[in-house]
Amino acid sequence: MKSLGSRVTIGFLSIVLLLFASGIISLFELGNLSNDTEIILSASRRNLELAKEMLKYAHDHSQATLNVACFDDNAQRDICRRTMSDLEGKLAAARSEAVDIEGLDSLSISVTRLRELSESYLFAPQAIPTDTLVITSEAAALSGRRWYNEQYKVVYNDMVGRIEEFMTHTHSSLAPRAEQLNKNAYRSVAPVLISLVVMIAIVLMFYFFIRVYCVIPIVKINRALSDFLSYRLPFNVKADLRDELKELVDNIEKLIGISKINNR
Amino acid sequence: MRVSVILRYVGSVMLCVSAFMMVSAVISYINNIDSGFYPLLLSSLLTLTLGAFPMLFVPRATSISNKEGFSIVVGSWVLASVVGMFPYLIWGGEFTLINAWFESVSGFTATGATILNDIEQLPQGLLFYRTSTNWIGGVGVVMFSLVILPSLGTSKMSLSNVELSSLAKDNYRYRTQVIVRILLVVYVGLTAVTTLALKAAGLRWFDALNHAMSACATAGFSTKNASIAFYDNVVVELILSMAMLIASIHFGLIYATFLRKSNNIFRSEVVRTYITIVIISTIFVATSLYGADIFPTVWESLRHSFFQVVSLITSTGYATADTNMWTPFAIVILIFISIVCACAGSTSGGIKIDRVLIFCKILWARIRRQQHPNAVIRIRVDGVAQDSDLLNSVVVFIVAYLALIFMATFTNTLFGQDIMTAFTSSVACLGNVGPGFGEVGSMGNYAEIPAILKLQDSLLMLMGRLEIFGFIQLFFLKWWR
Repeated sequence: MKSLGSRVTIGFLSIVLLLFASGIISLFELGNLSNDTEIILSASRRNLELAKEMLKYAHDHSQATLNVACFDDNAQRDICRRTMSDLEGKLAAARSEAVDIEGLDSLSISVTRLRELSESYLFAPQAIPTDTLVITSEAAALSGRRWYNEQYKVVYNDMVGRIEEFMTHTHSSLAPRAEQLNKNAYRSVAPVLISLVVMIAIVLMFYFFIRVYCVIPIVKINRALSDFLSYRLPFNVKADLRDELKELVDNIEKLIGISKINNR
Repeated sequence: MRVSVILRYVGSVMLCVSAFMMVSAVISYINNIDSGFYPLLLSSLLTLTLGAFPMLFVPRATSISNKEGFSIVVGSWVLASVVGMFPYLIWGGEFTLINAWFESVSGFTATGATILNDIEQLPQGLLFYRTSTNWIGGVGVVMFSLVILPSLGTSKMSLSNVELSSLAKDNYRYRTQVIVRILLVVYVGLTAVTTLALKAAGLRWFDALNHAMSACATAGFSTKNASIAFYDNVVVELILSMAMLIASIHFGLIYATFLRKSNNIFRSEVVRTYITIVIISTIFVATSLYGADIFPTVWESLRHSFFQVVSLITSTGYATADTNMWTPFAIVILIFISIVCACAGSTSGGIKIDRVLIFCKILWARIRRQQHPNAVIRIRVDGVAQDSDLLNSVVVFIVAYLALIFMATFTNTLFGQDIMTAFTSSVACLGNVGPGFGEVGSMGNYAEIPAILKLQDSLLMLMGRLEIFGFIQLFFLKWWR
């Protein structure tokens, strides 16, 4: 590489490319940060929605069961079936959609228990599971009100508790996720900061080298030329000369030689 | 002094560091682009630009003065540590600015002290990079720059004047370019053999390579939180002990031994003294441990005491046991060997056996001179009479070394450290050993010490690696003629 121009161009381009690379990496890390934030927020939002719907269906189921068990309102049996089916549907949806599925297993067990209990009481003649014979016979022995208060309500409250747990779980897991976000935010900023420091160092070096290998030699060449023209001192440049500047000094020396011959 | 020439040669060292960062980035890439990939890639590019930039403008120097040589060596170590922080800083985690600086200096000075509480959480690329700083530091960043420099002759000699201690140089009978070749052949060869042996002993390739690199640099960075105790494998311990022992002997002597030259390991008085100290220390420590029922059998006592003695005397710092729980007698011996360390011309730190041997001979000569005031007593090492300048420099070095330890201990206690931690951390950092005792014991780390003391310890590591005066000279360049 002989040309001074190409050296300066490469120096300049390396600064630009490095800034570009650090910018791209920062952008990538910012993208990660944005994705993580989006995932956390949407997971939290979706968990809340699902939990809210599950609570609504659970409440409707409880209401319908109360009407059947205490007031013998058989018209509500269908609502019982439908709300339970909806509740289970939401549970399945939560299992497939939710990012954080911790707590869903215990909720699923609670829902199954509630379904089995309510079916054993409300639809006993149609389907009595062999392993719930004892429960069924006991339930039948109880009056509807007692059954509702002493058995259904216990299982129902447990299930509602599990749904609330599922709802709040996302919030309780926010702290470590926020820490991760903080880490990601740091990672997206650090490359730019470090690149900036390196760039400052490179710009200082650039200034230093341009001064040592360009500016100072040019000043010295100019001074030597001025001394020659003004006082006829010999043209002598004491500087570290390279590339075009060396050629320039050589050419000036040639020119001086030619002018000396012409003057004779 | 030509600043541009210094920048050019320091730049070539940066290029080496950049190459290792790139290799680590490739490891991260192979490891499913783990979280270390972008930090390593960007750091590599930044370091490459920093290193290559001076080469664009500064032509090759035909000769380098001693002053420039010193500046290049010290500058290389300091700047390598500065750019070495980049991957840590960008990656984040436990690495704050001070912690990253500490870890980087510890790596490049082949100290092996760490601020990490959980080493295993680091991605593989970053783990490899961390060990590679040990490896680069072990052989000396300047040696790398000497290899890649195309010019030969006087410039190289000026650089190696600083890199090798005067005692080490005395043992070399070769030209500088041959010294560089010897260093690399021994270093790379030893690392390769150790890697293969560790793999054969059951370690994964990654762990085998990392531990081999660190052991041959007598540095001590491990990929496991529990260091070598993690493996609980006698064969692994033996292989590493052998690697550490060989790496702590003068590389020129190792090379000469392989070439069956007369000036070899078996005829070296220094090596004989070194091996004797290792054996005696091991027996003393093992006896003490067995006597105090710390280990149930003689074999177990010997096994752990041998490994710890070798680990500390070579200034490596690997651990197979929590030495804080050992007897005071064993601890005192381990502290003593952490101060003395191994042979000059190797990758180890500390005062070095060569100096201690000469110092003992000076003491003995002093006693004899009092008995025979007119006697002419020459101090010889390996049959070679040592000149008075060298003898003086040995005494001055030892005094300066001990004075620095006490000054650092004083500062450490000022900031609330207990006396054991304060003293042994100073010994461990100045001697490039790594672990000390107390809070910074073999199973501890430097995470909890105050930031200002981390800076002080980093300074000690640099001073230890540059043989104290090499570093101090940097501040008196103006008056250097």
